[in-house]
Amino acid sequence: MANIAINLLPIEFTESEVKRAKFYKVQAVGIAVILAMVFLSSLSVALRILQSQNIKGVQNQVSASEQKIQKLKEKQVSLLILKNRLTTIDKYLDIPSKQTENFKLLDKLIPASVSISSVSVDKSGSINILGLVPDSVTLGNLIDNLTDKEKNNNLIKQVSLDTISRGRDGFYRISLTIKSS
Amino acid sequence: MKKESIIKFYTTYRMFIFPAIVALSSLILIIFVILPQLMALLTNQKNVSDLLVRSKSLEVKAATLETYDSSDLARKLEYALSSLPEDKDFATVLGLIQNLAIQSGFSVTSISLGSSSSAKVANAQSYSIKLDVVGAKSLLGVLFSNLEGSIRLMKVSNIEFTNAPNQQAVNSSITLDILYLPLPTNFGNVDSSLPEVTDRDEKLIERLAKNTAPAFSQPTYVSLPPRGRANPFE
Repeated sequence: MANIAINLLPIEFTESEVKRAKFYKVQAVGIAVILAMVFLSSLSVALRILQSQNIKGVQNQVSASEQKIQKLKEKQVSLLILKNRLTTIDKYLDIPSKQTENFKLLDKLIPASVSISSVSVDKSGSINILGLVPDSVTLGNLIDNLTDKEKNNNLIKQVSLDTISRGRDGFYRISLTIKSS
Repeated sequence: MKKESIIKFYTTYRMFIFPAIVALSSLILIIFVILPQLMALLTNQKNVSDLLVRSKSLEVKAATLETYDSSDLARKLEYALSSLPEDKDFATVLGLIQNLAIQSGFSVTSISLGSSSSAKVANAQSYSIKLDVVGAKSLLGVLFSNLEGSIRLMKVSNIEFTNAPNQQAVNSSITLDILYLPLPTNFGNVDSSLPEVTDRDEKLIERLAKNTAPAFSQPTYVSLPPRGRANPFE
């Protein structure tokens, strides 16, 4: 008997109570959502404020460093000029020019018995030689030396014997043009 | 009457109206507050990290600059400028060439300025000087080595020599390209990185210092013997 419950309320009343309870639930969820949104909005605004303060701090650091560097500008300029000079000096110092290299090579390749009357080494590295060669063997040696790639360290590209004449004294008068590679 | 009808309308449809109002206000908050703030946060975060990197590099640059001693830097720069000056510096060059020729065993017959126009050699500029010397042919190599090994940068660009038969002395005409380098116009800004002075550079400076000091600190005067009669009225 104790477990029997009789609902004597009218059906409309029961329905309206169920609807109201449902609405309260919706209302609670709605308020929670609104509160969450407000919380998120305030959080994002607060974070922005913190971040802008952080940016200001870093900007102050940057300007302090900039001022420091401005004070040391003279050192920076000196250092830049120094490096600029040293790079160029390093490129040229102790590096012989093509002309002197060619001259030294010729000095090595021309037999001692050949008497050189004039030598000209121009900017392109082309060499003109006027000389007196005592005999045909020496002349052969001279040409061999100049044209042998091993002896000339592969530095001579072309050897032209422009003129050759033999005098009464038996000496050969030669004019050579040598083009270096 | 109107109010009552509104209340009645709300009471009837509140299950739909309330969630709609909540959704609308949430949407407004998201669109006008949360999203813009989040976007700004993300953008600024990138800016902050860039600023931090810049601040760090500037601090390092300032600290590096502070480690350099001004007087030491000025001294090193002086050596470098003696080797490769900013202008043509004719007076020093002419004296130096003459000294080098004499040291190499040659006597100078004439020194003349070649082309007045400046030629560009790699990143440096150059002008030419023609040097006429008389000396032993065997010493020409030494002369070239001395000229090109000189701390003041110069390169041999043309060689001509004539040799009279059975004579040791040759008349040589040597054209030299004398190098100089105008000062750079752009010295960089606050953010530009500092060039690094390497060990190789330090060795080069030491070498320049060793060779520059005696040649450039004291001018060399060549004393000429008196010429002509002691008393011109006799």
